[in-house]
Amino acid sequence: MKKAFVAALLIVTAIPLLIGVVALPPHGDPDTPVHTHISARYLEEGREEAGADNIVTGVLLNYRGLDTAGEVTVIFTALMAGLAVLISHKKQPEGDATYDAAEAAAEDAPVRAPVSPVVSFVVRLLAPFIALFAVYVIVNGHVTPGGGFQGGAILGALFIALTIVLGRERTRTLMPRLAQPWMQGAALLTFVGVGIVGGALTGHFLGYPAQASLHLARELMMLVLEAGIGLGGAAVFATLFLQMEAE
Amino acid sequence: MAAWPHWLPLVVFAPLLGAVLTPIVSLRSRHVAPWWALAVMSVTSVAALFLVLRVASEGPFSYLPGGWQPPYGIELRFDEFSAVISVICLIGWLAVLYSLRYIEWLREVPKERIPYYYALLLLNLGGMIGFVVTGDLFNLFVFLEILSLSAYALVAFSGEHIAEMAAFKYLLMGAISSLLVLFSVGIIFGITGSLNMADVATRIGQLDSAAPAALALAMLAIGFMVKAALFPVHIWLPDAHAIAPSPISAVLSGLVVKVGIIGLIRVYQIYYTSGVLDLHTLNQVLVWLGAISIVMGAFFAIFQDDIKLMLAYSTISNVGYIVMGLGLSTNFSVIGGSVHVFNHALIKATLFLAAGALIYRTGYRTLTDLRGIGRSMPLTCIAISIGAISIVGIPPTAGFLCKWYIALGAFEADQPFFGFALIFGALFIFIYYIRMVNAFYFQAPVHPEILEVTEAPLSMLAPTLFLASLCLIMGILGRIPLAFIEPAAARLLAPLGG
Repeated sequence: MKKAFVAALLIVTAIPLLIGVVALPPHGDPDTPVHTHISARYLEEGREEAGADNIVTGVLLNYRGLDTAGEVTVIFTALMAGLAVLISHKKQPEGDATYDAAEAAAEDAPVRAPVSPVVSFVVRLLAPFIALFAVYVIVNGHVTPGGGFQGGAILGALFIALTIVLGRERTRTLMPRLAQPWMQGAALLTFVGVGIVGGALTGHFLGYPAQASLHLARELMMLVLEAGIGLGGAAVFATLFLQMEAE
Repeated sequence: MAAWPHWLPLVVFAPLLGAVLTPIVSLRSRHVAPWWALAVMSVTSVAALFLVLRVASEGPFSYLPGGWQPPYGIELRFDEFSAVISVICLIGWLAVLYSLRYIEWLREVPKERIPYYYALLLLNLGGMIGFVVTGDLFNLFVFLEILSLSAYALVAFSGEHIAEMAAFKYLLMGAISSLLVLFSVGIIFGITGSLNMADVATRIGQLDSAAPAALALAMLAIGFMVKAALFPVHIWLPDAHAIAPSPISAVLSGLVVKVGIIGLIRVYQIYYTSGVLDLHTLNQVLVWLGAISIVMGAFFAIFQDDIKLMLAYSTISNVGYIVMGLGLSTNFSVIGGSVHVFNHALIKATLFLAAGALIYRTGYRTLTDLRGIGRSMPLTCIAISIGAISIVGIPPTAGFLCKWYIALGAFEADQPFFGFALIFGALFIFIYYIRMVNAFYFQAPVHPEILEVTEAPLSMLAPTLFLASLCLIMGILGRIPLAFIEPAAARLLAPLGG
């Protein structure tokens, strides 16, 4: 009975969805509004006026920078939500304002499943190369696919892999307690910082100077943004992982 | 000062940046967090004040981040509906002040969580402000996500099992509605190639088939209805709003559900202007759902003994009023509905903060347990009574004029039945608030110790009383917001030829 009801409900909702989607402009047709309206200008002028060879980066950081600032805030919100729900009462001395998940867990000496020496060796061997690749993806997002979000994800994954192999006592030195919240908020902090610099240069928040003499400044602003996004993303991954492991 | 152009990005980014900085300033001591949040909200409120003054003097205006002309860049657009940020800032500020003592008192909450509470509250307020001032569809979605995510976490914040369940239910419903909104934004981009609301409005009618536009409209309407908790997609609301910490209940019930309404208004702006579809059917559906919400919300509220659960159900019926006002789409009803967005926020925040004060002092939350409290906490109970008569809509309080206007709209639209539904709903609401007042003042206490308690501390009492007095002031000066919102309502309805 319940299954029949669910099936009927699915069919009833699917029909209008299909009718609507079928009438959408065909995929890949160069004459559809998706290609002829604003995207056309992005593709034609984007390289010059947005200042990035990779048009996607130009749209993300320049034309629609506000959206990206919002997106990094969504990621930060997810972190805050995770911490607000995950931190529990366990063995925290009353009134200790400087609680640190890593320290508390280190005292607790968690029992870890042993990691195969082969895996451990390979991860440690590859770590510097993975880190280098992450930096490459972040810096080169300007020209080729990639950028802060992707590079940050690689860095975060590296941190998690290292924590599993080496134990959190070793990797927590990468995220000192006092620097932690700065790293977690790095993405939005750089966005606001760069946005204000851009505002001072162009009169518009999140603006980039377009004059040829200031092209270097524009490149630099974008690079700083990518680095901030990367660092912030990696820190969010790492913190959530540490917190979940501690619980 | 009001002419300084950068107030608009400032009002959005001040709370968001403030949220990111909250864990940093709380590194040394978590007691800094509430004061920091209060300072951030003060700055935001100043910016909001200038923006509202500016829109009152010169009408809607835009800000172009990055300097790109719309539709190529994102446009922040401030119109009379965006003036709801004034209430967001006010209630946000008061909720932070109120939380100062209230959150410390929650025994289930590990103290280390507290800075994250303030960060989430600031994110939530910043997300709402961004949502109501943006003129871009995708940007709207981004801010919707910020405010939704933070709202789920705030509901779960108290750490009780039931709170986590309520938050999870809210998360499921909310995620579905966000998906619907995102999918619709995708469809609209697919058929217009644009995301700027004003640009979309001129281009959406140029397609051969209206089916995708209609699908997007339907999904946007359903998505925002879930956020606004309209019947029958209200099921997440009662638990979530009742179980959240009281200052959060005030923010959720007073403000966050209104985001759905503002979203609906933005969608209407696009579709009315484009004229691509006849919205008569949708309007009729909204009016009916609004009427059912009014009656059902009020009906369920009567049977609640838990004071916060009762207030939560009352939110459903008030959202019903607003949506009915929009659906009737006459000048009177739209003005009444939009002003009720402001007034209901004030009223419901008063009630939730006052209820929180009662719970804080006594530890009880049902009407039976709270009998006789009017003798020991007279000021709080006066605030509740003012809130109660406002929400029923008795003149000269804030609730009266809006409901009067919506009823006038129903008669103007030749649908007097809905005018009667509205009055009928008000009667129901009257019954359950009479029950509450009766319990507080006239019934013998079940727990004798309730007569011994004192008023809540000043940081909780002052916001409550201030909001209660605003309920009265907004009633007496009720013509000012009505006149303020009138041009926006006229602009919304202008394409209808009314």
